[in-house]
Amino acid sequence: MTVSANIGRTLSDDRRQMSDEAFITLLVASVAVGLFLFASLLVPNFFQLLNMLNLVTNNWAVISLGIGVSFLLVSGNFDLSVGGIVALSGVLSVWFAQATGGANALSTGWGMPYWLAISCALGGAMAIGALNALFVVRFRIPSIIVTLGTMMLARGIAQVVTHGSQRNTNLPDEFGVLGNLTLFDTSVKLPVIFMAVLLLIAVFIERKTVFGRLTYWIGANPIAASLSGIDKERHVTYLYLFSSAIAGIVGILLASEFKSGYSNRGTLMEFDALVIALLGGVAIAGGFGSVVGMFFGAVILAIVTSAATGMVLSPDWQYILKAIAVFLAIVTQTWALARRNR
Amino acid sequence: MTDQNPNPVLSVQELTKDYPGVRAVDNVSFTIQSGHVHCLVGENGAGKSTLVKMLTGALRPTSGSMSVNGSAYQPDNPQDARDGGIATLFQELHVVDELTVLENLTLGMERSRFGFLIKTDLDDRVVQTLAAIEPSIDPAARVSTLSVAQKQIIEIARAASSGANVIIMDEPTAALSEREVERLFAVIRRLRESNVTVVYISHKLDEIFQLGDAVTVLRDGKHIATKNLCDVEGRPELIEMMIGRSVFQDYTARTKISDQKVLQAEGLTNRVLRDVSFHINKGEIVGFYGLVGAGKTEIARALFGADKAEGTIQFKGRQVTGSPKQAIAAGIALVPEERRTQGLFTSLSIRENIPVMNLRRLSNNGVFRADVEQDAAVDYVNRLNIATESIDKHTEKLSGGNQQKVVLAKCLFADADLLLLDEPTRGVDVGAKTEIYDIIRNLADAGNSVAVFSSELEEVLGICDRIFLLYDGRLEAEVVNGTDVDASNILNVVTGGHVGDVQ
Repeated sequence: MTVSANIGRTLSDDRRQMSDEAFITLLVASVAVGLFLFASLLVPNFFQLLNMLNLVTNNWAVISLGIGVSFLLVSGNFDLSVGGIVALSGVLSVWFAQATGGANALSTGWGMPYWLAISCALGGAMAIGALNALFVVRFRIPSIIVTLGTMMLARGIAQVVTHGSQRNTNLPDEFGVLGNLTLFDTSVKLPVIFMAVLLLIAVFIERKTVFGRLTYWIGANPIAASLSGIDKERHVTYLYLFSSAIAGIVGILLASEFKSGYSNRGTLMEFDALVIALLGGVAIAGGFGSVVGMFFGAVILAIVTSAATGMVLSPDWQYILKAIAVFLAIVTQTWALARRNR
Repeated sequence: MTDQNPNPVLSVQELTKDYPGVRAVDNVSFTIQSGHVHCLVGENGAGKSTLVKMLTGALRPTSGSMSVNGSAYQPDNPQDARDGGIATLFQELHVVDELTVLENLTLGMERSRFGFLIKTDLDDRVVQTLAAIEPSIDPAARVSTLSVAQKQIIEIARAASSGANVIIMDEPTAALSEREVERLFAVIRRLRESNVTVVYISHKLDEIFQLGDAVTVLRDGKHIATKNLCDVEGRPELIEMMIGRSVFQDYTARTKISDQKVLQAEGLTNRVLRDVSFHINKGEIVGFYGLVGAGKTEIARALFGADKAEGTIQFKGRQVTGSPKQAIAAGIALVPEERRTQGLFTSLSIRENIPVMNLRRLSNNGVFRADVEQDAAVDYVNRLNIATESIDKHTEKLSGGNQQKVVLAKCLFADADLLLLDEPTRGVDVGAKTEIYDIIRNLADAGNSVAVFSSELEEVLGICDRIFLLYDGRLEAEVVNGTDVDASNILNVVTGGHVGDVQ
């Protein structure tokens, strides 16, 4: 992308203007813009600033999860456990914060102060991340299997704690604050700010830090990375912990927004996070992709689903539309990259 | 220059392939005579691979034409090429380890009825073909139990029994030991007797003189000459055609070796190695020479901490243990045996490959120093003469010699005091080889130590000051290089004979 002026004499001619990642990101962004304009033609009142904002803000949870998932994909690993962790941390935060001595089992908790309750819930979420890392890194079990297992484990624990229902009574007043806090007298809520800040940090880490570069090296060739002195075990462990921490915070914020702990919350979010990463050009084999691309992947998915519900189609069509969008996007990217590198 | 071929099986006319900004193959015309072993030589980047890809249908020519047995030939994909009677033996083997030899030979040719396999005379036919080519391979053996050379022979037999009359072999001996090479050559000669044409690509010029009937030389995408090998006056002429200058490897005693020990290994033992002890001095180039499987790679990996081994390794007076990370921190760097799978990040650019082994120089409190990366890339591309139009070029698109230079650049950027080079010039053309040898000598003259692990005698005799001879995991002998060194004795030791047996 940025080629400074001190490039060698023999190397200056015919140099690439743009990396493949920048190219794909630009492609995804153009598709997102194109789709938005196209939908604006078809759907009345679609072309509005508020609508544009809503496309992003309504998806703050999945986009946040997509950050951790994207980093792991780039390193060559899956994380399917994030949806389960969202449920688990939300349920735990409610359970820990509920007062003791409620009318029945579902309204009786641990009576912790709110800050302690969310810290412990976050700890529970990161324990799942640590479990992922343990099995993937130490026992060398394929990450898709490990995280499929921990996905069910996390949701299973949430189910047991909520007795298959939800916990929403006997909560302190401050429980509902974080998820519904609006900032600067606007309708922008704290979770959206959380997502935005997280995105900025992630882009910085990805583009500007050694940590980000290590992720690409490990994903591009794990054997060469090890033989180049990279401690890939430690790095992948960090990535799983970060991903689970993000999922934990998302779960806590969602529980706060709805003032309830619900074991089915975040169902299929792990797949949505995976889908937006792939839509955004992250390579499923690792070593390639960007967080910005993932963000625009989320925008594409949001436009497709919201435009459909704004049109004559019933919301039942959204999965089929998603499927078409995914196939088209991935075929286009493969084709465009192959053409470019021919 | 082109000879009049009375019986051409394959001919190309004015073949050209353009890539954006590069003409990889430039107006090449030559013919290959039926029943010949036709060698294709040229430095890396000369256009050999591109030419082969067009012959096998993997790439389409920009212009020009090809013909097989006099009729036009325009393969759209590798299957078309096979149907046209042209089979290819790639460097990567395409055999299924879990199946038997026979099952591999008939793979894709099975007949079935209602989904069940039925027995045909196919089995007998391929068994006969295999027996004619290499009788020592048992058709019922599981392929995973065979050596690399035997697997190659299976692929050749499969090509021959599928009716191919031209077999293209892309560096078939790159991974073979000298004894296995002889066996492969016997197979190729038998193919020639049965009038199969072999297009043979190799960097090892001795093989070409041993085996070839005719040779085509490419340089910078252009056709230089097609000649019968009996008309070629030895290596010097061939090398001159390939690179336009003469290169000879001769060891001259180096004066800058100190007697200060930089590394001392005692009693290295693991599943391959048996009680290996040696030392390396500062400024010295040592060679480890032996057949494939003798333990060269294992010693390199043990010194680098990539494999576990009992025994002690002292580096600069300190015990080194454990991991590549610690080895690099102590000042040891490794150029691994397989550059594509172990050394390079092939999907990343030259710029992104070079700095990986020295994160301390790259990091400014964790922030990536893009300027350091940029400067290092430009610096090493110029210093090591890496042929590329841009430092942002993906390394998978570089030729073998240039890829190897990128791996070397990685290690040089690590500022190591001891470089372990495992097969540093495997699959590298003559020109790049010479350059790599010069780099190694310059490094040693600057006070670094270099260990070269090689299965090419010419290589260790050309550059190493001391040579350790390995056989079956043991360090059998140590030879000080010089004009009086006895090559036949060395070959005797590494093939299992004892020191001094040969008169």
